[in-house]
Amino acid sequence: MPPIIEISGLRKTYSRAFRQPHHALDGLDLEVAEGQVHGFLGPNGSGKTTTLRALLGLIRVDGGTMRIFGQTVPRQRPQVVGRIGAVVESPQFFKHHSGRLTLQLLAESAGVPKARVEEVLEQVGLRDAAKGAVRGYSLGMRQRLAVAQALLKQPRLLILDEPANGLDPAGIHHMRELLQWLAHSQGVTVVVSSHLLSEVQQLCDAMTIVSRGRRIVDGKVADIIAGHSGTSLSVRFPDAASLPEAVEALTTADATVTAAVDRERLVVQGAPEAAWVTRTLADAGIYLSELTTETKNLEMVFLELTGTAPVPGETVQIGGSVVPPAAAPVGAPAPVAVEAGSGEAEGAER
Amino acid sequence: MNLFKAELRRILRRRLSLIFGIVAVAGLLVLCTLVWFNSSTGPTESDLAEAQAQADELNRQYEDCLADEEFFESDEWLWVTDDPMSEDMSHTELCDMYIGNQQFTAADFLWVYTFDFSEEGVFMLIGVAIVAGLIMMMLSSSAIGAEWSSGGMSNLLVWHPNRMRVWGSKLAAASLVCAASVVGLLAVGFGLLYLTASVRGEVGTLDGPWWDENLAVLGRTAVLTLGMTVLGASLAMLGRHTAIAGGVIAGYLVVGDLLVQIAGGALKVPFPDRLSLYTWVMAWINGKIELYDWSATTSSSMPDIMVITSSEAGLLLGGVVLLFAVLATWSFQRRDVA
Ligand SMILES: Nc1ncnc2c1ncn2[C@@H]1O[C@H](COP(=O)(O)OP(=O)(O)OP(=O)(O)O)[C@@H](O)[C@H]1O
Ligand SMILES: [Mg+2]
Repeated sequence: MPPIIEISGLRKTYSRAFRQPHHALDGLDLEVAEGQVHGFLGPNGSGKTTTLRALLGLIRVDGGTMRIFGQTVPRQRPQVVGRIGAVVESPQFFKHHSGRLTLQLLAESAGVPKARVEEVLEQVGLRDAAKGAVRGYSLGMRQRLAVAQALLKQPRLLILDEPANGLDPAGIHHMRELLQWLAHSQGVTVVVSSHLLSEVQQLCDAMTIVSRGRRIVDGKVADIIAGHSGTSLSVRFPDAASLPEAVEALTTADATVTAAVDRERLVVQGAPEAAWVTRTLADAGIYLSELTTETKNLEMVFLELTGTAPVPGETVQIGGSVVPPAAAPVGAPAPVAVEAGSGEAEGAER
Repeated sequence: MNLFKAELRRILRRRLSLIFGIVAVAGLLVLCTLVWFNSSTGPTESDLAEAQAQADELNRQYEDCLADEEFFESDEWLWVTDDPMSEDMSHTELCDMYIGNQQFTAADFLWVYTFDFSEEGVFMLIGVAIVAGLIMMMLSSSAIGAEWSSGGMSNLLVWHPNRMRVWGSKLAAASLVCAASVVGLLAVGFGLLYLTASVRGEVGTLDGPWWDENLAVLGRTAVLTLGMTVLGASLAMLGRHTAIAGGVIAGYLVVGDLLVQIAGGALKVPFPDRLSLYTWVMAWINGKIELYDWSATTSSSMPDIMVITSSEAGLLLGGVVLLFAVLATWSFQRRDVA
């Protein structure tokens, strides 16, 4: 089955007066398969919104190709626009119109039946607030209105830029259920960009992480996390003095293994398996008191992959994330398709 | 078509449209009321009697003077007889000189303004149309500017990727609203002023030539308001903000026009008046305008005359509107929607 969205080598450069031009998108690739909820992640300023804007024809791009439903956009956008519903970053509406009128005008302009307006208002929980002017809406209410607007034409592809922004816990929960229902029982393809990683972890089937306008990883959410957990072992010893010896023993046994001392413990990465560590250390006459496999969550994987993990006493600056592929994460194992030319692993996901 | 209808509704449902509509109608009513109370067909009986009394009073003084040879002997007029000038004059001459044989009538003491529809009505209607045009210019630029500044534009473009259709619908909706409200306002204004004239003034003769001439003038004024609407929308599209459009227009009309004229004067451009936008607008509405160049004129020779016809003015003004419309179209088509 061909992907619903196929983007390859997308470039967008903003020229700036008296400064170097800024490459917001620097050869970005993205594939989204049908009927899944696809997370689109990346640090601030990494080009997520820019990508979605380009996809929706709001901005021109300087290179690369984009296809939606197999049709090349922007050229054939008129053929696909009826099937796409979208919310682009902090949606804004004309403030003096009511929520209902806002939706009615859009519905009327595209020939969507009027009854649909009430349906989506109900769906996003704005039925009772629809009479009021948008000016009086809270952030979350505006966000709901935006989602309602995206749902209005019963799209086959839903593109949501930070839809959870400003939603209350019930709203987030409801949104998650709604999106999963749309994807899994209605067959709608959903693309969400988000910074709420726990939310992405729960909501999304697959995801793409970008940094500085390039893709650094994509695949099933579970695979990406699995690919990064279990590879890191935390080892403790009865006596902290044996730490340097242990490092010595492990790295001489296998040169691909990295072992780093982190206060009282040893963090081992790249070891074939936990048993190998115990055996190697026992052979060297070092006995450990504790060995745990570090299960990582998406947040840790994300920070590691994007190189935005916090350093004490420093703030990670915008644009300070890793530049793929040169700075691909160290020791990232096979299951994760790191963008360093491992097209095979990527292909396996689809 | 759907898009056009939605855009039409979007404009009509705006609060600003309602406010402007009320302002325009109220302005028209105020105008008619003022005319109504200032104009009258003739004085009332008592006004006439009072005026007649005043006239008679003054005329009687002259007659008294003629009848009474001693008139200037009284203390009050003694200075006249003392004046050496008056020694050679006959009594009648003195009366003529100091009292005056004015033969006053009641009309000299009545000030009656009679509103003449055929003479003044059209000027008022032109004024009404121009004010309506200014309002429509503000309304159309705000309809587009607000869409930009509120962020609604990017939302709309996600729905309707064909930007030319979006722009065309918006422009068409604004123009239709403008045309309808100007024509409507003119019709109501015509009716009210006609009514005022027939009750409180004179209608005058509205014959064939009158209609020919004035329908042409009003028609050109209505076209001017359409041009203003398109200009307002285009400037808002270019600047992506209502305030920018409003600022540019007001700035040019108030300061820019003056600066251009001053520059023209400094450079000794012949006929500096033709540098003013207002000249061309007048030429367009009136049908033609004559400019006089006094710079090369001596007291004996006649000034040079330059005639601007309405077709020339139409070309220039239309060109300006078209230029901005094309620029706006081009920029909307090309530029990123932030
Ligand atoms: N109109 C613009 N002019 C200049 N630079 C821009 C413009 N829009 C975006 N950029 C730049 O493009 C880069 C990508 O921005 P984008 O909005 O896509 O980031 P993002 O991934 O959506 O970030 P966030 O997580 O904060 O929403 C940023 O570095 C930004 O500075
Ligand atoms: Mg963004």
